[in-house]
Amino acid sequence: MRPFLQAFAACFLLTAAGCSQGVEETKVETEVVQAIQDYVAERRSPKVERPPLTRAALDETVVGAFIEVAIENTGVTAYLFTELQRRDGLPGEITVWRSEDDVTLAMRNGLLTATRGLPGSLLSARVPAADGVMGPARGGGRRYVLRGLDEGSQAIEMACSLEDLGRTTVEIVELVHKVQHLKEHCEGGGGVVTNEYWVDSTGARVWQSRQWAGPKIGYLSIRQLTL
Amino acid sequence: MYFPHFRGRFSVRVRLAACGLLLAAPIAAEDRVGTPRLDPPATPSLNTYGLPGLVDMPTAEAMPNGQIATSVSYFGGISRYTLSFQAAPWLSASFRYSGLKTQGDELYGFETYWDRNFDVRFRLMQETRNRPALTLGLQDFAGTGVNAAEYIVATKGFDTPPLSPGKLPGRLKLTAGLGWGRLGSYGSMSGAGTRPGYGNSNGGELSYDQWFRGDFAPFAGVEWQLDDRWSVKAEYSSDAYDLETGPSDVLEHKSPVNIGTEYQWTPRTRLGAYYLYGSEIGVSAQIQLNPSYPAVPLQVPAPHPVPPRSAWATEESQWGQAWAQSEETKITLADLLGKELRKDGLTLESLDLNGTRAELRYRNARYHSYAQANGRAARAMSRALPASVETFRIIPVRNGLGLSALELRRSDLEAMEFDPEAAATLTSVVGVTTVGPQAAGAIPGAGLYPAFSTSINPYTSPSYFDPDKPFRIDAGLDFGAVYDPAPGWRVAGTIRQRIAGNVAGGRKSESQLPHVRTDQSLYAEYGTTLENLYAARYWQPKPAVFARSTAGLFESMYGGISGEVLWQRPDSPLGLGFEGNYVVQRDFDQRLSFRDYKTFTGHASAYLNLDKGYQAQVDAGRYLAGDYGATFSVGRVFENGWEVSGFVTKTNVSAEEFGEGSFDKGFRVRIPVSWMLGKPTRSAFGTTIRPVQRDGGQRVHMPDRLYNSVRAAQRQRLREQQARFWE
Repeated sequence: MRPFLQAFAACFLLTAAGCSQGVEETKVETEVVQAIQDYVAERRSPKVERPPLTRAALDETVVGAFIEVAIENTGVTAYLFTELQRRDGLPGEITVWRSEDDVTLAMRNGLLTATRGLPGSLLSARVPAADGVMGPARGGGRRYVLRGLDEGSQAIEMACSLEDLGRTTVEIVELVHKVQHLKEHCEGGGGVVTNEYWVDSTGARVWQSRQWAGPKIGYLSIRQLTL
Repeated sequence: MYFPHFRGRFSVRVRLAACGLLLAAPIAAEDRVGTPRLDPPATPSLNTYGLPGLVDMPTAEAMPNGQIATSVSYFGGISRYTLSFQAAPWLSASFRYSGLKTQGDELYGFETYWDRNFDVRFRLMQETRNRPALTLGLQDFAGTGVNAAEYIVATKGFDTPPLSPGKLPGRLKLTAGLGWGRLGSYGSMSGAGTRPGYGNSNGGELSYDQWFRGDFAPFAGVEWQLDDRWSVKAEYSSDAYDLETGPSDVLEHKSPVNIGTEYQWTPRTRLGAYYLYGSEIGVSAQIQLNPSYPAVPLQVPAPHPVPPRSAWATEESQWGQAWAQSEETKITLADLLGKELRKDGLTLESLDLNGTRAELRYRNARYHSYAQANGRAARAMSRALPASVETFRIIPVRNGLGLSALELRRSDLEAMEFDPEAAATLTSVVGVTTVGPQAAGAIPGAGLYPAFSTSINPYTSPSYFDPDKPFRIDAGLDFGAVYDPAPGWRVAGTIRQRIAGNVAGGRKSESQLPHVRTDQSLYAEYGTTLENLYAARYWQPKPAVFARSTAGLFESMYGGISGEVLWQRPDSPLGLGFEGNYVVQRDFDQRLSFRDYKTFTGHASAYLNLDKGYQAQVDAGRYLAGDYGATFSVGRVFENGWEVSGFVTKTNVSAEEFGEGSFDKGFRVRIPVSWMLGKPTRSAFGTTIRPVQRDGGQRVHMPDRLYNSVRAAQRQRLREQQARFWE
């Protein structure tokens, strides 16, 4: 019986709020107490000041492709690395980007098609991708399928027009890129969405974009920091 | 592959401007129109009875489908606490606890008279451009009738221009109706026949002989929603408050006109202040929520994408099946898969492999949705198993029972992950079938059995509607231990230590029947108790047949032996079960001793899963007090785990023998923690509320009855939740 008693004692000392050893499902009261503890811990934890982003720091510390993603509504930013690149039966190459805290964005030729790990997932999207064209290839229909209702999904259908705003440059952490500025104006679902893309003048990649990820997440600002 | 001194976490909030990270993109002018929204539907405001209404009078509006409303209101000496549920677009049901505090003579022998009411409302006609909504309501239709009323009411809304530029437009709603009973008592006209008094002093039975009988009176009113926050209300009430203005002096009635204003404080909370009957100030708080719209959206760590075999198995040799000959390789693969599953909170129970096919049995202690758990399991298999394995058979297991088998092709998984319609098309490529016996060669999960686990959990145990103290609660700690010697076997026990509470001071039982449930306050006198201690076995004698046998102390009041069989195919809406128990009543101190009362109790059950989560259940058999009868339950179980259901039990016990309430009835509410906290967990708050706890029509509480476990992984459930598969 000693291990039994030890387990109990350790368990009790670690948290007075409830805990368990083993693979049983957690009880409701324990979940709630834990949630309160987590909340208090988060409030107490010191705010993290992000160091200024410099090209020298990037060159020194980063291997491989990284993007920076900012959620405009919340002001939260993260850096995402490539988890997977692949093709499927549809036009365009899929890239799955992953953050350290398990959020992923899937893009098809730079067009956002899915989010995971954020509240209110963009489950999937029909996007105007074409082989050999980075960014949107044309206007026309777009369809966002979003997490919604009771464990189900809700679709938003939109009609989009694509506008070429001409050549310009963007600076991303001290590097200046020549780009084509594209604007996608979409209407439908009782609202309006404007996605913008700054596509490399050679057409090789989308350096920067501002894309809508659904009503819960809102707009994402995305920049390609490294290749 | 990550920044040593950068944090790549989305959970870190930083001051963007300070870091120079804001993009140059200007806010587009079109943004002022707004991006598309998927907000909960608009909902009507409530009256003092907690029903869609004006101040004290009802309107014909219906709440959005599935809406749950709780409201509290006070005016004069009257307090009302109401819980309403919009069970269907055309039907709502409410339960109310209302108190009349006297300033003069006592009411029915009480200074504060507490009454429990049930209401139902039927929408007869939906509002259109040219005609109003029409609703028929029965208020307090089965109680002792203090609040009894019936009404037919019509409401029509009109848009009004914004009060100032930039504000949202308003809405004006006009209401007129006819009331009977309480709502036909002021300014009344003589109606059809006379309204008989309430015959049964025990209450509880339907008072249909009163409905729409006797005098009736018109009522009318208007609500003007100025914008999305404020509204003003005015009405002419047809309620004379005869009882309350009598010698009991609960209220003074000087005028039939009531006015008020309400403020939408948060999207779910509305506050109101009123001036009623020319004499009383009133206040109300209304909280409305919709189970389909979680308080906090579920946030689950992103799954790892499915690695397509075309990308990594480029050599023909990688597609061979020779590995399947080696038992050692299979064990290595099972270990690898077990590790992958653990990342997602799942546990590998067993893996059966041949060259092209894999059958996984796994336990899910994290996700409420089995579709989501299956999706995670499928992804893990796609990462861990050799390229030649094309068919995945995925079986969630609970208490050793395989709940259903999901079969899918790995190539579909690879092809569909980024399909724009992945969620909608999943059903067409998967099959859900019954689970057969586990293959002899299946590799068991490493170190799973024997398993021993312990837990310390806070508990709460409420008791409702004692007239002296309507809400009582005990709280303390449960010390639990579970021992699983082999798949499907379990020995479990819980020691309960109360820390604080007041259930013990509750009413003593005066029941004429054996005291099978009404000695609750005597049981509550003991602070350290053995809550349960039992051994159970779960097994599947045949595909689609589930069985359980349990022996020991099942719950605080009963111990004994129990057996249950359930037939439920994963693709059938109908399930049939039988349960038989021989039980002995436990001593009040809840240790190992028993009282003299022994009985056989058992039921035959039919479970019917209807569309849209509606569920019906009939249990017929013998109850704890030796009474024979049947329990009818209907309810709605939401895919996210919310449950609202009601039940009535009629047995051969007469209303007189049964006592207050005449027969057993009540409702259940279950609120999943994941809905409230937005994190994946299977736990939930559940409570069963009975207006009166008596001894007729009572069943024994049994740990882990079969149906709820099995139901959760039915084909219909997996289909309704298929969007979760990919998440």
